[in-house]
Amino acid sequence: MTLHATFPDTALEPAPLLSVAGISRFYGERIGCADVSFDLWPGEVLGIVGESGSGKSTLLRCLAGIDKPDAGEVLFRGGPAPLDIYSVSEQERRRLMRTAWGIVHQNPRDGLRMDVTAGGNVGERLMDRGDRHYGAIRERALDWLQRVEIAGARIDDRPRQFSGGMQQRLQIARVLVSEPRLVFMDEPTGGLDVSVQARLLDLLRVLVRDLGLAAIIVTHDLAVARLLTDRLMVMKDGHVVEQGLTDQVLDDPHHAYTQLLTSAVLGV
Amino acid sequence: MTTMIQVENVAKSFTLHNQGGVNLPVFDEVNFEVAAGEALVLAGASGAGKSSLLRILYGNYRPTRGSIRITHAGRPVDIVSAVPRTVLDVRRRTLGFVSQFLRVIPRVSALDIVRDPLLARGATPETATEKARAMLARLNLPERLWSLAPATFSGGEQQRVNIARSFVDPSPIMLIDEPTASLDAANRDVVVALIAEARAAGSAIVGIFHDEAVREKVATRYLDITAFRKA
Ligand SMILES: Nc1ncnc2c1ncn2[C@@H]1O[C@H](COP(=O)(O)OP(=O)(O)O)[C@@H](O)[C@H]1O
Ligand SMILES: Nc1ncnc2c1ncn2[C@@H]1O[C@H](COP(=O)(O)OP(=O)(O)O)[C@@H](O)[C@H]1O
Ligand SMILES: [Mg+2]
Ligand SMILES: [Mg+2]
Repeated sequence: MTLHATFPDTALEPAPLLSVAGISRFYGERIGCADVSFDLWPGEVLGIVGESGSGKSTLLRCLAGIDKPDAGEVLFRGGPAPLDIYSVSEQERRRLMRTAWGIVHQNPRDGLRMDVTAGGNVGERLMDRGDRHYGAIRERALDWLQRVEIAGARIDDRPRQFSGGMQQRLQIARVLVSEPRLVFMDEPTGGLDVSVQARLLDLLRVLVRDLGLAAIIVTHDLAVARLLTDRLMVMKDGHVVEQGLTDQVLDDPHHAYTQLLTSAVLGV
Repeated sequence: MTTMIQVENVAKSFTLHNQGGVNLPVFDEVNFEVAAGEALVLAGASGAGKSSLLRILYGNYRPTRGSIRITHAGRPVDIVSAVPRTVLDVRRRTLGFVSQFLRVIPRVSALDIVRDPLLARGATPETATEKARAMLARLNLPERLWSLAPATFSGGEQQRVNIARSFVDPSPIMLIDEPTASLDAANRDVVVALIAEARAAGSAIVGIFHDEAVREKVATRYLDITAFRKA
């Protein structure tokens, strides 16, 4: 059990894992997100916070390659050569999303195959990756179910027999089993009761730290951001209004909007 | 002695945008250095800005102006302009912050909280456990509490977990904000001894101490920050 981020010596890291430049997405006249740029380094966890409608999901969908922005570029350096994610072929992008990336959806039903067993949901990702040995796949699936605190005896049950919190944990196992370099999460604890949330958050915190994952986490909950993220971007009306180290932004907010957000919650 | 902290021309003011944009100046033109083995105690009335200055040294508050050079792994790093991952690396290896309150993390036991900094710096699990247990015992935390998450502990018990975590493997620089506020005399003496040991081992200390007796036992030098208030 570790609470700490492990950072390689910064001098030894030649390049960011993800370079984002000038991402904008419009819905007709309406701004989804506008001119967003940042670099993400291996092992860093970036939070995107802001009120509902501020453009967090729009931005995340662009970054994860689910939607194409109207302007901007995203360069991913997780493979042998840097990859411009909007100019690669659809096939190449899908391969990337199955292997080097993981996406945790707010609603577990969007990320799980509801008619496939828990073990199948996890094992499928390993088969996508090219694993073929049935026994080894089942063993790893079992191991991952236990890591997300799902009893091994439930391996042949289908997700619809699970509670919301369990479904979300299963989705996380499905995403992390293939050891992605970068994980995108949109309100991962959003639909859950507060008590269930705390357990999931703690699990996420430990997994992200232990695996040294880079992650981008969208949340409107500043306590979630405080617990899980190293850096924060604050969005308002599609624009990033403030960014920095998470505790800096929350404890000494400079922008009027960030001051409003932090003063609305006690003790984050 | 090696200079560990070099504060140059630091100013801090807060702009409260949602309270009519009022500007709250705290201090200006702060300059000082702290060397390894020194204990600098910040003095000044409540509200003078002692905690703000300590948080600036940690990279938690951002100064309005100025630079702060921290000697990190033998090299100077300006904590004010450093990118987030550098600040986090400096905190992990060089800067320790002992606050008045423990930030409780759900489901993590007192023992694991104290073990964590040792593991982060590469200790074996056995060594980490042994040192953590010794530190909790020294701070008189009842052993039955060690395996529990501190969420339900009293203020004084949480504070001792916090101190144990901070001093189990003292950092080259220790920033300390009123650590003894909710402790009894016996535990206060333990904290004073821990600070003295860290200093003897070469840590540079910057601290704020409410209690005058503690202050006098700890300080090798004082800095009254009221002097930096803008005229
Ligand atoms: N599919 C869509 N069609 C039209 N407008 C959209 C669509 N998705 C989002 N928007 C608009 O874009 C803005 C940002 O929305 P969104 O990215 O969902 O924000 P958030 O995730 O922060 O709540 C909002 O004004 C929203 O109404
Ligand atoms: N995050 C903050 N936002 C706004 N004002 C702050 C903040 N932190 C401290 N202050 C103000 O700065 C001044 C100095 O506070 P502080 O550094 O806590 O003083 P001390 O520790 O000497 O009592 C006070 O007026 C306080 O209200
Ligand atoms: Mg959204
Ligand atoms: Mg104070």
